[in-house]
Amino acid sequence: MRTTEPVPAGTTAIHRDSSQIIRFIPMGGLLLILVVLSAVVPYFLSVNNFVSILVQCSSLGLMAIGLTAVLITGGMDLSIPSLMSFSAVIGAIFMRSGGSPVIACVIMVLVATAGGCLNGFAVAYLRMIPFVVTLSTMAVFGGASIWVTNGMSVTGIPRGFITTVMHDIWIFPAPVVVLIVVAIIAHLFMTRSLYGRWLYAVGTNIRAARVSRIPAQGVLFGSYAFSGFVAGLAAIVTTAWLGTAGGTIGSEGVVLDVVSSAVLGGVSIYGGAGTALGAFVGAIFIKLISNTLNFVQASYYMTLVVKGIVIVAFVALDSMFRRRAGGTL
Amino acid sequence: MIVKQRLTAGAFLLSYGFLIAIVVMVAIFSLYSPNFFSLKNALFILHAAAPSMILATGVALVLMTGKIDISIGSTAYLSVAIGVMLMRGLHVNPILAMLIILPIGAFLGAVNGFVVVVLKVNPLIATLGSYFTFRGLALQVSNSMTISIPAQLGNIGSLRIGPVFIDILFAAVVLAIFQLIHTRTVFGRHVMAVGNGAEVAQKVGIPVDRTSFLTFMLAGLMASIGGVLTMFQVSSLSPTLGQGYEFTAIALLVIGGVSLFGGEGTIFPGIVLGALALTIIQSGLNFIGASVFVYPLVRGGIIFIAMYADSLKNMRKRQVKVLAEQG
Amino acid sequence: MTAPSLVMTGIKKSFPGVKALKGVSFEAFPGESLAMIGANGAGKSTLMNILGGVVQPDEGQITIDGEETLIHSPSEAARLGIAFVHQELALMPTLSILDNMLISSFPTRNGLIDYDRGEVLCREALSRLGYEFNLRMQVRDLSPGDQQIVEIARTLLGKSRIVIFDEPTSSLTSREKERLFEIIRYLKSEGTTIIYITHLLDEIFTICEKAVILRNGEKVAQSAVKDLTRDGIVEKMIGSQEVVSYFQHHARQPGPVLLTVENFQREGYLDNINFSIHRGEVVGLWGLLGSGRTELFRAMMGLDQITGGRILIDMGRGARPIRPHSGKNPMGLVTEDRRTDGLLLPMSIRNNLSLANLRNFISRLWPFIARTREEAAANEYVRKLNIKSTSIEQRVATLSGGNQQKVVVGRWLQTSPLVFLMDEPTRGLDVEAKAELHSIISGLADSGAAVMFVSSDLDEIMSLSDRFLVMVRGRLVKELPRETTKHELLATASGMTGTMGGE
Repeated sequence: MRTTEPVPAGTTAIHRDSSQIIRFIPMGGLLLILVVLSAVVPYFLSVNNFVSILVQCSSLGLMAIGLTAVLITGGMDLSIPSLMSFSAVIGAIFMRSGGSPVIACVIMVLVATAGGCLNGFAVAYLRMIPFVVTLSTMAVFGGASIWVTNGMSVTGIPRGFITTVMHDIWIFPAPVVVLIVVAIIAHLFMTRSLYGRWLYAVGTNIRAARVSRIPAQGVLFGSYAFSGFVAGLAAIVTTAWLGTAGGTIGSEGVVLDVVSSAVLGGVSIYGGAGTALGAFVGAIFIKLISNTLNFVQASYYMTLVVKGIVIVAFVALDSMFRRRAGGTL
Repeated sequence: MIVKQRLTAGAFLLSYGFLIAIVVMVAIFSLYSPNFFSLKNALFILHAAAPSMILATGVALVLMTGKIDISIGSTAYLSVAIGVMLMRGLHVNPILAMLIILPIGAFLGAVNGFVVVVLKVNPLIATLGSYFTFRGLALQVSNSMTISIPAQLGNIGSLRIGPVFIDILFAAVVLAIFQLIHTRTVFGRHVMAVGNGAEVAQKVGIPVDRTSFLTFMLAGLMASIGGVLTMFQVSSLSPTLGQGYEFTAIALLVIGGVSLFGGEGTIFPGIVLGALALTIIQSGLNFIGASVFVYPLVRGGIIFIAMYADSLKNMRKRQVKVLAEQG
Repeated sequence: MTAPSLVMTGIKKSFPGVKALKGVSFEAFPGESLAMIGANGAGKSTLMNILGGVVQPDEGQITIDGEETLIHSPSEAARLGIAFVHQELALMPTLSILDNMLISSFPTRNGLIDYDRGEVLCREALSRLGYEFNLRMQVRDLSPGDQQIVEIARTLLGKSRIVIFDEPTSSLTSREKERLFEIIRYLKSEGTTIIYITHLLDEIFTICEKAVILRNGEKVAQSAVKDLTRDGIVEKMIGSQEVVSYFQHHARQPGPVLLTVENFQREGYLDNINFSIHRGEVVGLWGLLGSGRTELFRAMMGLDQITGGRILIDMGRGARPIRPHSGKNPMGLVTEDRRTDGLLLPMSIRNNLSLANLRNFISRLWPFIARTREEAAANEYVRKLNIKSTSIEQRVATLSGGNQQKVVVGRWLQTSPLVFLMDEPTRGLDVEAKAELHSIISGLADSGAAVMFVSSDLDEIMSLSDRFLVMVRGRLVKELPRETTKHELLATASGMTGTMGGE
């Protein structure tokens, strides 16, 4: 027996939606931080600065968008950064041994997508728990990266690759454009297309989705394949940005950042809510938090602490609002 | 209702598969390198496995209630770091400092318990958050330096009685205690009951929340003990202490038969088997001269297989015959 | 004259939209078995849940052994000596028999569980029932009958004075049933009060001394079993004159055969089901709780795998088999519980309405959903079905039950299915909404579709159906025509009249 009383027809019930408030907190918070920072930091409001922030987030933003698709279905993907790292390594090695940069990009995307498909297969068809699957693929791909590179970063990436990937389109470096384009397309796709509807339906109530003849398993599979694909794009961007691939480039904090970006961007851990644009904003938000903490000279470690607390707080609020609204978790 | 399971080849394989695999592995490695199958090597293996076994005992109970804790590595690091800094910075008596580490670990576990049970946050997210928060705090406290500890303490790590390392004995004692707790205390039985189904457990009057909370505290406590042991083994506090431990612990537990879905598994021999499996693979790979970097990959693959097997076991459990609809 | 061990007076309980109990009173005596009888939804489960501390009454008193008490939780009920053997057994599959029996009350010594003493207690309890088990066995390896024995033995450990059995025989073989009855006789001889919830009439006459009959949340009879007849019980269960005027049925000529189900088999749930449905007819699928009606629908929709059998669809050009879960399956399913598997509660009416029909809204320009078309369709169905809402963007969670159900129906209407399967379509709805749904159902048949629906409301199913299919325990036992009496329907479902392939 549910405990919510159905509202008699005719009542204006549209405003009573406290569970949605949480989706707007990051926007509000972002605006607040922007205002504060622009007051405090002299050159903050310059275009240059904005562009620089966006570039820093391109890889993170892409991964967060990929994760969003998975989160909407009510799943989880912890392996995204490892997939990115591994595919970057493979592509880099390919280039180092003389392969064409273009083909290397294709390889990176294919490898990452394949990894995503592996996750998707295990979740959708082997019916394993997403967290468990992606925890183990995280281990596998992380381990594979280390193995293939013998623990060292892959250098010797052709200049051509870097300059091509990082060249400017108008005022933005290509990665930023890619990020924005992907964000917009993903957003439109998720909110307006058939598959997007299916995605939200599966995440809201998979049983009802099945009854309505939505291919739920296919949708699940696709969401992981997508996050793999996007991880591949992120691999290209990161490799060009850093000029190297592999090693243990801050890989530890990345998963937290990716999940935090999505969660702060209003994507719910429990499924059925959130948008790609939200994740994009969330990624910017996270980067701003990092930069701000840097600016006030908090140590790297404190940023970990702050992020850890923020993400738990957000999810706690989310689950509290959901329970108040009478839904199920 | 619950249905009878027939012992098919599949079920047999799922339950004993890893045991068989271990035996096979030992055989292969021994063929490759005769030194492998020796008492000395066995003792070294156990010595290396001791901290993970201790950590795993704490996490085991959390898993058995059907929840998860991926922050134990950070808990280990933070509690040990605080102890060490007290010793160095405030010149607290070394023995006292070491002892304080334990309640700190339990407290950190209690924080996890609070977030999961009281704030009702998904255990994965909650412990993901503490994974980073605790580690960040620990790095802050220790300035991510490697700090060596006084010789008298460091030596404990390599103490032996005869050929047997002391920490192996210590781990054995811990295992024995937990086995007792698991099988012969009301708390231990309640843990299994909650893992079988929180609603049913509640119906029967078991204090579900309190039981869960305690498991998190114990996990924190054991993490701190394991952390201390690790520190003794390498004679210093390193900034990578505890890194990856949660992983190893979970892998070890799943291999040893503790299900991620709750309500299944044993401390003994489950944890021992799991720990042995992992360390045998590690040392075996070493012996056959494989590069150091193969191990994480192999471990990842094993985790995947183990978790898949766990899923399969869980699905069979769910094939229940239900003739009665809910009223 | 012994004093009653249990008295419940004036018990009232309402749930949102439903008055489950309207003031029920009864007494029970030690050493006696009291049958609690009623059709689905009569209120017996609710009443017993109140006694078992699972649910709190809105009004009323409970007196146990002369003392008035309040029962706030299952553990409190246990402390008062009340044991509830639920239909869904409260056992832990991976724990041993020993652990399951002792789980709420382990004997301890020096902080550890005293298994020696525990074993003695358990063995004793089990032997009193005439059983002996390897106590270390895991409960999941036992047969359902044996599991039930364990649960009953657990109640003995608690020295329960009142034991409630809720439909205890639904998963038992006849031998196990006999065993259960012997145990109940034994319990009675010890002075325990038994309350036996059932709708299987044979059992009442075998094992109970007194009976209380509930209907629509009220007690309609309490008497000694020896003063009752089978027919009398059935009559009291269904009532002689219905006060609510139900749908006025009009005769329909059913069209040609549309759908045939052949030899449907599903291990453990469905056994050799065969039937056909015609165009333009309303078929009432009748049966008691657990008879497999929902499972049949799910199998037809391809949601559950069948282990044998097939479906044939005849759209005028000969019968063709189809795979139940293929996209071409022209059936729609309105599920039993719209909240758990019917609706996307946090989403809008428009979203929910178009869920099964999204492909038809894809714009020709680009691969996105054409909102205008979707909105038009949504508005159309809101109008057609008279869904009371402020706009099509209103969240479905905030609609009343009746309107929610209409949204689910509307979703399927959009796909123009040939066959509508409806599982308890009017459950939890008020009279007005029920009436609306009835005319919708009838309208569907009039327009040439076929409707097959499940209802536990005998009046409803009788007023709407052109004919009946009756299921008992996963088998289709009888097909009955429109003119069938209530009595016959109830009797068939209870497994009393000659069943095809009965036990």
